[in-house]
Amino acid sequence: MRCDRRRAAALLGLFLSFASIVESSENPVLVYKKKYIMGTIFEIAAYDQSPQHAAKAIENAFQEIVRLDDLLSNYKPDSALSKLNRSAHFQTQRVPSDLYRVIDQAVQFSKLSGGEFDISVAPLVNLWKAALRGDGTPSLAQQKEVRSCVGYEKIALTPPDRISFRSPCLQLDLGAIGKGYAVDRAAEVLHSMGIHDALLVAGGSTILGMGTPPNQAGWWVHLRDPSNKIDPQVLLKDESVSTSEQTAPSLLGNGSAGHIIDPETGQPLKTEFAVSAVTKTASASDGLSTTLLLLGPTKGKALVKDMTGVSAVWISHQAQPEIVNGGPQILLGKGSQTPVSLGKNQ
Amino acid sequence: MNIGRTILLWIFVLVSTSAWSNVFVQWTGGAIPPATELGMNDLVLSWNDSFWSQAKEARKQGYRVYVVTPFNQAQTATEAVASGVEGVILSVRQSERAELEKSLPKLQAANPRIRFLVLNPDGKQPEMRGSLVIKRDSVLEVSSPTAQPWIDTNLALVKLEQRSHQGQVPLYTFSWNEPSDGEQKPILTAADYSLAIAEAGAFHADFILRPDESLQKALSEHNAGAWTLWNQVRTYANFYSNPAEQGMEPAANLAVVLDNLDPSDEVMNLLARHNLPFKVLGQSDLDRGKLEGYDVVIVFAKPDQTTSKRIIDLATQGKTVILVDADGVYPWQSRDAVRVNEHTLSYPFGSGKVLELSEPVTDPETFAQDIRRLLGKENALISLWNGLTTIAVPYRDAGTLKTLEFINYAEEPLRVQVQVKGAFASVHYETPERKCCESLEATRHDGFTEFVLPDLRIAGRVHLNRWPDD
Repeated sequence: MRCDRRRAAALLGLFLSFASIVESSENPVLVYKKKYIMGTIFEIAAYDQSPQHAAKAIENAFQEIVRLDDLLSNYKPDSALSKLNRSAHFQTQRVPSDLYRVIDQAVQFSKLSGGEFDISVAPLVNLWKAALRGDGTPSLAQQKEVRSCVGYEKIALTPPDRISFRSPCLQLDLGAIGKGYAVDRAAEVLHSMGIHDALLVAGGSTILGMGTPPNQAGWWVHLRDPSNKIDPQVLLKDESVSTSEQTAPSLLGNGSAGHIIDPETGQPLKTEFAVSAVTKTASASDGLSTTLLLLGPTKGKALVKDMTGVSAVWISHQAQPEIVNGGPQILLGKGSQTPVSLGKNQ
Repeated sequence: MNIGRTILLWIFVLVSTSAWSNVFVQWTGGAIPPATELGMNDLVLSWNDSFWSQAKEARKQGYRVYVVTPFNQAQTATEAVASGVEGVILSVRQSERAELEKSLPKLQAANPRIRFLVLNPDGKQPEMRGSLVIKRDSVLEVSSPTAQPWIDTNLALVKLEQRSHQGQVPLYTFSWNEPSDGEQKPILTAADYSLAIAEAGAFHADFILRPDESLQKALSEHNAGAWTLWNQVRTYANFYSNPAEQGMEPAANLAVVLDNLDPSDEVMNLLARHNLPFKVLGQSDLDRGKLEGYDVVIVFAKPDQTTSKRIIDLATQGKTVILVDADGVYPWQSRDAVRVNEHTLSYPFGSGKVLELSEPVTDPETFAQDIRRLLGKENALISLWNGLTTIAVPYRDAGTLKTLEFINYAEEPLRVQVQVKGAFASVHYETPERKCCESLEATRHDGFTEFVLPDLRIAGRVHLNRWPDD
């Protein structure tokens, strides 16, 4: 793989030698790249006077995400997470600092949500994933057996880098927070290389706006709207937004499988909402959006109101938004040049 | 478009069938390098003022020359035959297809010695697609925040073309994506060109490659970097020029019955993206064709009386027939129905059934997932893991799966797990970069064979070998 990349880089260099592109300009140029990592598409759009420098910074940021994928993946058998999942049952294991930090942050969200958000839900997720692929709905006995493995309180964290599981079958899945963490680290790489105005996107569901585009107040992001009637938007400036939504219900079947599992019931979450959460970091928005989807608008709004600088919106197919604007204003403005704000805490 | 008339139309159309996939290169500017150096022999020139001089030069450089013209200039382009061209390529947009049906037979009759090829110019640049949309005022936005990774593929277009002119090789092309306002113009890489060639090759289609003008100029000027890039691209064209695999047919156990052949239909794009091998049929095929090999039949057409009877036959044989946007009175409705959900009624016929979906497909992603569930694990011809950017196309010979073509739109090495229906003695793997063939470790259980592609970068091919006494 490394050899291929070097060859590709060399070819690109050769091609650049005859391609007529501007080395640098007074006006910042937008450079956009995408890469498949962590089972999804990461995209970065960055402004800089030198497109070559921006391209290099973006590549470095992607490499940081690749490095994190090698640690946080539960698909790769040699990742630090996979090793932890195999060996930490009643045994303390030393883990890389990034893995420790992500798990620590995830546990904080679990505590904050009273266990609604739980990265130990992996065995249940796998059970229901199989149902999505056509294995049929798992039996109650299967569900019960697997549920006994779940519970964030069974994760023992010993700073700065030691973790053990107080369960013989606990498994962690960082899918609900890992991409956000990777986006934050990628943004650090861009900053370290002098790129201050960029938009980073992980799979379309977690977005971080660094700085602003030229002559703009921030990065306008249109949010998921299941009703297709509201067009919620938010302006990001050094902020992140993430959206969570349950898998759409079947058109031809009567199953209730979905990729977000409610740890309380052990079954796919039944909700009609899509939730977007706006926070200062991508790790926080990623974890919080899933948490708020699981909590629902009533409990979720109470949680957000207790947080500083956080906004959130729940939107159903019936186009009745529930908004908390404790941070950047989430605006509703379908078909309008100047979206109408519903104000704070409506 | 009326499918029956379309088939008749294509009897008049002669297309190249010398290989299972042929790459034509469209040259628009600069001195034309010799065919031996470019490594591709079929050159396409536009019908314009410089055609005559370019055609003369191209023939001198050893090419078979074709002229491409918009369909509405077809008559004047026939003059190009005087320059010794191999054929006239008619670029026909979807909106012109009805006119083509009327005009092409007349054109052919008036010019019996000219070889006409019909080109679908409405392909899309194959790529892994992101969710960012860059707007005119340089503000960036993100659409569909929860959308899954997406790819732009021409598989549905090729499937439709295969149905439109059965027995003929589809021919298509596309324009490279333009940069958005304020965005640096992306430089097309060897991987971009290779992916375009690989896609057409994997789908067994002919393809017109349009090298960027800066690349054409650089090749004309003997730029070393440009030639290094081009030689990479050539390896992909060579990879798909092997006539040994000619004669195989795409394997599918899902039939899609259509009235209108619209390649922009997202349902078929999603079936392709979910690696559900399907074949496009017209309603007439349903009436008279043999459908034993299909487990699920999706009907987007409004069934007439004959088709309705055929649908009952299929369900009685144990197949699942899905009638989409079912609005009408049909004979199976005299039976007791089971309400599946608010959208769907099921009419059981033993182990088969007719499912009536009362509305059009509003969510093609969910629909494709539903189809995979309806097929069931036991009938899944192929399943991929870690393959969200990968399309697999199975081919069979005499009813037996023989070859799998893989395309990875992410253009970077990927480890992909594959499960294919059937117990195979051995599995061999080749790529344009690693020539034939590496033996892959395979495990077999419950009538399926599993293996891992170690490093699928853009294209790969797997050969499946049966046990000797099978």
